[in-house]
Amino acid sequence: MSTTALGPALARKRVLICVGSGGVGKTTVAATLALRAAVDGRDSLVCTIDPAKRLANSLGLSALGNAETQVPASALEPLGVTARASLHAMMLDMKQTWDDLITRVAPPEQRERILANRFYQSLSTALAGSQEYIAMEKVWELRRKGEYELVVLDTPPTAHALDFLDAPNRVLDFLDNEAAKWLLAPALKAGKLGLSLFNRSGYVLRALSKFTGTEMLQELSSFMLSLSGMNEGFRERARGVRALLEDASTGFVLVTSPHPERMDEAIHFSTLLKQHRMEVVALVVNRVHPLPTEAMWADAATLTPTRRAKVEETLRELQVLAEQDGRGIAQLQAACPGIPLIQVPRFGLDVHDITSLWQTGRFLLGDDTF
Amino acid sequence: MAGLLDKRLWVVSGKGGVGKSTVAAALALRSARAGRRTLVCEVNTQERISRFLEHPTAGPEVTLLEENLWAVDVRPQEAMREYGLMVLRFEALYKTVFENRLVRYFLRFIPSLQELVLLGKIMYHLQEKLPDGRWRFDTIVLDAPATGHAISFLSVPHVLVQTVPQGPMSREAQKMRDLLVDPAVTAAVLVALPEEMPVNEALELHAALKDKVHIRTHAAVLNQAIPERFTEADLEALAGHPELHRVAQANHDRASLTVLAGTKLERNLHAPVFNVPRLYLPTFGRDAIEQVMGHLEALVMGEK
Repeated sequence: MSTTALGPALARKRVLICVGSGGVGKTTVAATLALRAAVDGRDSLVCTIDPAKRLANSLGLSALGNAETQVPASALEPLGVTARASLHAMMLDMKQTWDDLITRVAPPEQRERILANRFYQSLSTALAGSQEYIAMEKVWELRRKGEYELVVLDTPPTAHALDFLDAPNRVLDFLDNEAAKWLLAPALKAGKLGLSLFNRSGYVLRALSKFTGTEMLQELSSFMLSLSGMNEGFRERARGVRALLEDASTGFVLVTSPHPERMDEAIHFSTLLKQHRMEVVALVVNRVHPLPTEAMWADAATLTPTRRAKVEETLRELQVLAEQDGRGIAQLQAACPGIPLIQVPRFGLDVHDITSLWQTGRFLLGDDTF
Repeated sequence: MAGLLDKRLWVVSGKGGVGKSTVAAALALRSARAGRRTLVCEVNTQERISRFLEHPTAGPEVTLLEENLWAVDVRPQEAMREYGLMVLRFEALYKTVFENRLVRYFLRFIPSLQELVLLGKIMYHLQEKLPDGRWRFDTIVLDAPATGHAISFLSVPHVLVQTVPQGPMSREAQKMRDLLVDPAVTAAVLVALPEEMPVNEALELHAALKDKVHIRTHAAVLNQAIPERFTEADLEALAGHPELHRVAQANHDRASLTVLAGTKLERNLHAPVFNVPRLYLPTFGRDAIEQVMGHLEALVMGEK
């Protein structure tokens, strides 16, 4: 029986979103959660962004692609358990998912024009939050199809936490902006767009074109015009994505490393999630250095002098790291009252095989603690 | 090998969490100590470098931290304003244009404009001169974003030159590209940890910088390296002490990984690798940066 907050979440939530800065082990945590849920009887999918090839291998897959792939039962053999439900994994291809979305919502005669437009490239890649948006859009789509009882999403490393939470709003804003309507309205009525754009707004736009060039502005306007046909479909989906984020069946798992340097980011993220009324199921502090025990020091004292010196040096180093981690964790807990905090120790080597995933899971679910 | 001091723009990048800012801070400090007027640039982030060096944060204005060392956090809004003012020349005109709601809306969707002005500000400082004709900054250390973002950030001038219609944006981009690809000016320092993913990302980054951006990798820094300590005989002798054996084995495994990572980097990058050993200090501040700096002496100053 699980004793941590992740137990009930794995049993009841429909969507779990793992968030945190780059290099903290989000992908590992996401894969582990889906694995545990499947073993415990819920059909699960882990949707990762950029997994180590070895993670795919550890799940018995040669590589992960944009399609959902079932993890073979043989992959779980080393664990001595059988999954009571299916486990699927996929790697999200951002560009492909954007293209699929456009193909779905754009009127057929506009599709090619949109996909080929360079402003589309900017919408799908450069717009802050667009990667985050498309990841959640995928989850919304999967959730709507309803083939999985639980979808665990591993998110792209986010430079700014707000890009993530604000993504649906930004995309809606892109389509809804009144200024654009005002600007484009006469042209839309006339069914064409030309220099009318520049007559209307006079010298502001002339000055702006000094900055970007005239051609650039004309191209952008024509792109806006081609998008107008898909507004409704797009807007409906963006609203769906936003609703999904706030839904009671969705939970966030905030992953961080214990290093004090990374703490600020984790605290900032958790504050923002709270402000946006989104539920943080757990704070996972990954790769914590355990404090060497008294018994270890006593045992070291029985060794021959040279070995004793080497071992004690190593224990002293571990002690410094453990104390550093302890301060970071205390700071995090104080800054995020009421959110369950779960510690996962740093294992000997990187977590890349199914046994280490399982071991991580035992700490996440509270079967093991330290 | 020639030291980094021969170059003027030092681009530091690598996977998230490998210690890019630490390395950038150490390199900048060494450059300043060598008597070079040095500017260290962070890009729209929570500033770390000024904090590591135990100074107040610099913010979006170029700020003197200590002798010969300046810092700046290059942020889009401020950089856009500076660039806009340079193009439009008059504050009043800037306000009318750039504080117009509609214009702001348009600017957001112009591909790569944000990256262009961020990089533009850095390139501007690279060419800035003092009244006596010397460079305002001899060295600029760019604490670049992590791998994927770094590649798209640094390729912006190339992409724009190829795709944007002739105009002011493409002219700016052309100028920036010329500086970035000049091996006499620009050099990249890639940071990795002795783990699989950070090493692989450093190799990817190297390939992308070479092929897409035409920036040469000057060297790699293998951060948090673990030196060999336990021999096979030590490990055997510890067999009767399971807890201690586990600790020793983990240390031994990480030391082996360090050797492996160093070899892999050296072979694939065809560039020297500088190990910075893992530090065990209660707090991470100036002391830590000074220690890291000590391990990067040959990287900055060249082989004695």
